[in-house]
Amino acid sequence: MSDKNNKIPFNEDNYTHNIERNNERKLDRRGFMKTLVGAAGVFAVSSLPWGAVAAKELMGLGEKEYPHKKITDVSKLPIGNAVDFKFPGDHDDAILIRLSENNYVAYQNACTHLRCPVFWVKEQGEMVCPCHHGKFDVETGAPTAGPPRRPLPEIQVKVENGAIYAVRVKRYEA
Amino acid sequence: MKRSYIGVIILAAILMMNIVFTQYMVHQYYYENYVNVLIFGGLNIVLFPLAVLAYKKTINIRA
Ligand code: FES
Repeated sequence: MSDKNNKIPFNEDNYTHNIERNNERKLDRRGFMKTLVGAAGVFAVSSLPWGAVAAKELMGLGEKEYPHKKITDVSKLPIGNAVDFKFPGDHDDAILIRLSENNYVAYQNACTHLRCPVFWVKEQGEMVCPCHHGKFDVETGAPTAGPPRRPLPEIQVKVENGAIYAVRVKRYEA
Repeated sequence: MKRSYIGVIILAAILMMNIVFTQYMVHQYYYENYVNVLIFGGLNIVLFPLAVLAYKKTINIRA
């Protein structure tokens, strides 16, 4: 234990003897600067998990291959309709839309704004997010209205023997 | 005014950069540019010692 704080006048630049009973609600310049430094620390620490996940993503797991997953049978999905499914994990909601005889599109349908489930409005021909009226282009997944700024991640699908399979999640170009 | 507010200004600027970098980091993460995430995360971490340094260097300056 150092007694650097027991000197008179004691060194104010510390974290234990800096509350004055009569002035505890007063924020002086020194206290304000300490708060700012603390805030910088919080930012630094909260960057760590993002860095960790990004590093993990960079190491090998780059182009992930998931087992192909059957979504539905072609005969059960009329043109213009949509079906919800999970891909690649059990908690990743996704939507498959049949645009024409042979044109299917699939997206992960967690809105890129705040992750509400986006749904398909057949009459308007768009995907709509109920939360803040974000809209997405059905051909590309690009946001067309409302708060979202990023496109929905697209899922590659393939048709085989009358069934539709999810193949993988496409990466963003750019 | 007896004090110098240069320290406060520097720290406020650092915090501003923190906010900007964090914003970038999160967006780049969702864009899957993971290298950029690491860059901005690293910058965020570097800013903390800088903030401590700025505090120590300027706390006793009188103007
Ligand atoms: S969550 Fe979809 S628009 Fe806000």
